[in-house]
Amino acid sequence: MAIQILRDLRGLRVHVVHPPDAERTKLVEHLRRIGCMVETQWPVPDCWADGADIVLLAIEHDVRQEIQRLLKSDDRHRPTLIAVVSYEDPSTLQLVLEAGAVAVIERPIRPFGVLTNITIARSLWLERRDAEKRVRKLERKLAGIQRIQKAKVILMDGQGLNEAEAYESIRRQAMSKRLSMDDMAAAIIHANELLQYRVKGD
Amino acid sequence: MALVEDNSGPWRVGVLFSQTGVTSAIERTQLNATLLAIEEINASGGVLGRSVEPVMYDPASDPKKFRSFAERLFQVDKIKLLFACYMSSTRKAVLPVAEAHRGLLFYPTLYEGFEYSRHCIYTGAAPNQNSLQLARFLLSAYGNRFLFVGSNYIYPYESNRVMGDFVSQGKGKVLDEIYVPLYPEPQDFERVISRIKKTSPDVIFSTVVGSGTAELYGAYRAAGFDPTRMPIASLTTSEAEVAEMGNEAAEGHITAAPFFETLSSPAARRFVSSFKEKYGANAPVTAGAEASYFQLHLAMRAVAKCGTDDPEQVLANLRDAEFDAPQGRVRIDPENNHTYLWPRIARLDRNGRFQAVWNPGVRVKPDPYCVVQSLDDWSVDELPLLHS
Repeated sequence: MAIQILRDLRGLRVHVVHPPDAERTKLVEHLRRIGCMVETQWPVPDCWADGADIVLLAIEHDVRQEIQRLLKSDDRHRPTLIAVVSYEDPSTLQLVLEAGAVAVIERPIRPFGVLTNITIARSLWLERRDAEKRVRKLERKLAGIQRIQKAKVILMDGQGLNEAEAYESIRRQAMSKRLSMDDMAAAIIHANELLQYRVKGD
Repeated sequence: MALVEDNSGPWRVGVLFSQTGVTSAIERTQLNATLLAIEEINASGGVLGRSVEPVMYDPASDPKKFRSFAERLFQVDKIKLLFACYMSSTRKAVLPVAEAHRGLLFYPTLYEGFEYSRHCIYTGAAPNQNSLQLARFLLSAYGNRFLFVGSNYIYPYESNRVMGDFVSQGKGKVLDEIYVPLYPEPQDFERVISRIKKTSPDVIFSTVVGSGTAELYGAYRAAGFDPTRMPIASLTTSEAEVAEMGNEAAEGHITAAPFFETLSSPAARRFVSSFKEKYGANAPVTAGAEASYFQLHLAMRAVAKCGTDDPEQVLANLRDAEFDAPQGRVRIDPENNHTYLWPRIARLDRNGRFQAVWNPGVRVKPDPYCVVQSLDDWSVDELPLLHS
């Protein structure tokens, strides 16, 4: 995994969100030396730029609000974030954590360490993204299993079937109506709710 | 601007190469070459009328000593330019000191790449200036079954990674990867020999450095292997290690480097004869020595141009600086502070002398951050087939 990330460095698009000073110039030079494609930005943008694989974000306290606005802008499609910090006090750290930084570069910025931090950050971000995908998949699957279970129970209660028969009934109906078992189960639950409905009052 | 500068005394420069310890054989050649360059400069009037004076210590192949002597040189001796180091572990110890004192380190040795510092000029080969060329040669001339043996520190691990990648590009196999201590014992090499016997590689790629080199080649010879069929190929074995191991153990093995003592260009011959005149006919003239020689000349030429040894100004003057080195015209690459060099490959003959087997006369730009190189990147004509 490490080597693949290093191989992909050439052509990695890095956005450096950092005040325009001598440190930023040196940082950009070194990122290019490593092989990344670099763009700079300041002041802090409103939302994550399209086409950024990695963002190096300077955690500056005087633009705290802008940073927080940026962080709120799009939770789902955040690029890999590396924080550039000048302080280690709790309020800075809080901002770093809220930003979801997966690596940190301290000031004064030295060339040594940049490559390692980019590699680690990218690796963590990819792992996290894969893990999130798996979790979502598992959640969907779990919900599906629960739906089928509920539909089975409805048939068992309503028609006096045992579990195996109930399952078989759902499966057959799904096939004949060309639905997935999950959709069939949802239909059964839905129909059951309609039939159970009693008008209140009277 | 300096506050107080002594404008009458000599230019004092720091020199740190091991005169004792495991890598002293090669480092002594680098020290000698540095002193030779200084002598030449002084013999022709010095720099802006002032002579160059080396301030040196013996760090005995120990990174801790390298660090403390570097601190002494910058802090107490007040030098600004430092010419030093062979092993990467020693460079890693010295570089932060150079950075902290805003000095300039000149590093004349091949290494594993992936480094940059504003305060260092790298005049030895980066992996794209020796490994690629050696891999192509070995794969075309010997075969694709490799066995790796190296000393146990950073440089061999990274070199093996690079070479391993070439081997798999060449659809070959790395049969084993063995690391011996920096200060090896005979039984360490017994283990290597028995693995060679068991696996029967086409090539043994060695990144053993220092005195262990002679032991490895000696053990190979004692085991009776045939170097025409299964050579030891190296980036580090130089004339200095050959002098330690003897001609018999050396014969038939291969090294890739930008410079060999036997190069026939006028500049190379001049350098070798001056070196041997000063240090004796048997003094080995290595690639590390050649880099030490031209880097000193390059540095002092920059001092002459800007009139000061202030590292910032010297650095500015070194950008794109070209120099007619013994290996050919070299050039500092301002993008990464490394040097354009001339890769070559040579084989040791029965007299313990390197004879070039591949010398295309092409200068290669340094690419220290290149993670993966393709065997096809190299746009030189087909390598000559080796007839055994």
